[in-house]
Amino acid sequence: MDLIFFGLSLALYLVAAAGFAAHLIVNRAGPRRLAMVALGTAFAMHTVGLALRAATLGNAVLNSFHDQLSLLAWLIVGVYLGVQLRYHLAVLGALVSPLAFLLTLSSYIVFSGAQTLPDELQTAWLPAHVAPAFLGYAMFAVASCVSLVYLLQEHQVKTKRRGAIRLPSLETLDDLNYRCVAWGFALFTIGIVTGSLLAKAMWGTFWSWEPVQILSVLAWLLYALLLQTRSVGWRGRRAATLTIVGFGLLVVSFLSLNLGLPHGRSFG
Amino acid sequence: MQHEVLIVGLNHRTAAVGVREAVAFADEQIDDVNRRLCGLEGVDEAAVVCTCNRVEVVGCTRTTGGVADRIADFLREAQSGAPRDLAPHLYNYAGRDAVRHLFRVASSLDSMVVGEPQILGQLKQFYARAASVGATGAVLHRWFHKAFAVAKRVRTETGIAGRAVSVSSAAVELAMTIFDHLEGKTAMLIGAGKMGALAARHLLGNGVGALMVTNRTFDRAVELARDFNATPVPFEQFAKYLPMADIVIGSTAASGYVLTEPLVHEALRERKGRPIFCIDLSVPRNFDPGINALDNVYLYDVDDLGRVADDNRDERTREAAKAEHIVTEEVESFWKWLGHLEAVPTIVALREKMEAIRRGELDKTLAGLKDLDPRQREAIESMTSAIVNKILHTPITRLKQRDRRVESFYIDAARRLFDIEDPDES
Repeated sequence: MDLIFFGLSLALYLVAAAGFAAHLIVNRAGPRRLAMVALGTAFAMHTVGLALRAATLGNAVLNSFHDQLSLLAWLIVGVYLGVQLRYHLAVLGALVSPLAFLLTLSSYIVFSGAQTLPDELQTAWLPAHVAPAFLGYAMFAVASCVSLVYLLQEHQVKTKRRGAIRLPSLETLDDLNYRCVAWGFALFTIGIVTGSLLAKAMWGTFWSWEPVQILSVLAWLLYALLLQTRSVGWRGRRAATLTIVGFGLLVVSFLSLNLGLPHGRSFG
Repeated sequence: MQHEVLIVGLNHRTAAVGVREAVAFADEQIDDVNRRLCGLEGVDEAAVVCTCNRVEVVGCTRTTGGVADRIADFLREAQSGAPRDLAPHLYNYAGRDAVRHLFRVASSLDSMVVGEPQILGQLKQFYARAASVGATGAVLHRWFHKAFAVAKRVRTETGIAGRAVSVSSAAVELAMTIFDHLEGKTAMLIGAGKMGALAARHLLGNGVGALMVTNRTFDRAVELARDFNATPVPFEQFAKYLPMADIVIGSTAASGYVLTEPLVHEALRERKGRPIFCIDLSVPRNFDPGINALDNVYLYDVDDLGRVADDNRDERTREAAKAEHIVTEEVESFWKWLGHLEAVPTIVALREKMEAIRRGELDKTLAGLKDLDPRQREAIESMTSAIVNKILHTPITRLKQRDRRVESFYIDAARRLFDIEDPDES
């Protein structure tokens, strides 16, 4: 049953991606509206799918690569829709929709059926760790998309060339990037703290030198640096680059957990 | 008699400014001109449009021939200063060409600067003036409103008005790619050059909140600042005020660099990296080209801005082709509507429609009343006919109105009220 909803949302993400792309190319409002409706509907479908799956699996829904990818896609779209309420950045939708599509598609590809979860992980600590950490990931993902658009626009303004696509102003993008990173940082901090508490409860140690921990803390430090240096003028291009680098670290950390790099546990 | 639409007039392409001036009407003359145009033989509806680039009479007639000449004569004679031989400057569009011309004018395709936004507002005003003295009827009403709608469509569906085509408006456009909005932003004008003043005026007009003006001769800065309601800054101290400026415009006659890299670097530090848009409008250049390499500093010189404006002009030309296509579509739509705007076919269609309804309802009723004798059937038949005729009597009398301006309104209304197939969407 939940698979039907995931399938529908997958198809609609593709429609949204095509709609945003068409909007950027022909610069008409029609495709943009279609894309927004498709993305909103996809998000609703995805929500229902995830809710159904969580209802049957409980905490186990947080334990498989498949579900994590799907959750990430859902959160990224959610964050974008939230941003869209205030910023109206169709160009961002053109990056977020295909990203959501690819994540959901990958989640399909790695689907491995129902998951089981060791009894000791049936604890409220697991969602308390995964929810903020993943929402943080989603914030950083959207921030990276914003940064990408920033770098493109910055390049155009600096080199006095103009692309076919009209992009938002540098100030808007920089401001949005800052907000996303700040929120992401706060959530991610909570995720790290609850994560180490969870580790302590499970394995008796807060820290165990796993790649996921090292990379996460590196990314955390990088984002901390980014937020701190804004007041001394590290904004714009430098902030955008750092945002993307930090997110790269998180992607590697996330994959290390799920694609067989050594680690001592079986959940994210 | 079929409605004929026509436009007689001259514009910036057919007449030099001297001729346009001589023919143009003053604001207080417009109402009288509209009234007099309507008084011309054969002219049913008329509206004069008079801007600095055009003097045109938009009209509607139902007599064949001679009307355009009478309007041309009117234009020649109405103003004493008008040249005796106006004919070479006048154009005269009829039929679809006239429809197309008004649509093109409204969409700013006929403007000196294609895509300029003022013409639509002017057209609306002139239509309202004509309507206010009763010079317009259903045809001009529909024609003008269609023209406004076409202009709106062109505006939203093409990029014809999207981009800046002058150096100063290109500066504003670029500022908008850097800053979210210009409200609350501060600009600094260095030097008293004409280009710089123009750019500053554009920026202020687009929301820039505060302007500082500096010049080697302080008196000149004060004078300029008074013009702009700006703050004069002594030249020796401009570096101190530089960090406050989000936008710096250079327009001096100096031969060296006024804005150097160390100066900007220092300003950036104090601004905590908030971006600075530098516009160097002087030749030779006043701003060190090296500052463009600094993070969060964007430097454009006069050639860069010129290139932006040129690109935009090319783009407008490309977009204009799209706009022409839209205009062609809409001309056909209006043309069909106009073709249906006649009393006799409307009355026939109205009667047919009513008769079909009467027949349909009668058959339904009679089918359920099998035991009626022929006399009773006949009585019901004639009663229904009488009802339809009585209902239609007044509407049809109205449709045959003598007053043409009123008549066309009724025809249009009847077609809409009774849903007589109308090719147009609204």
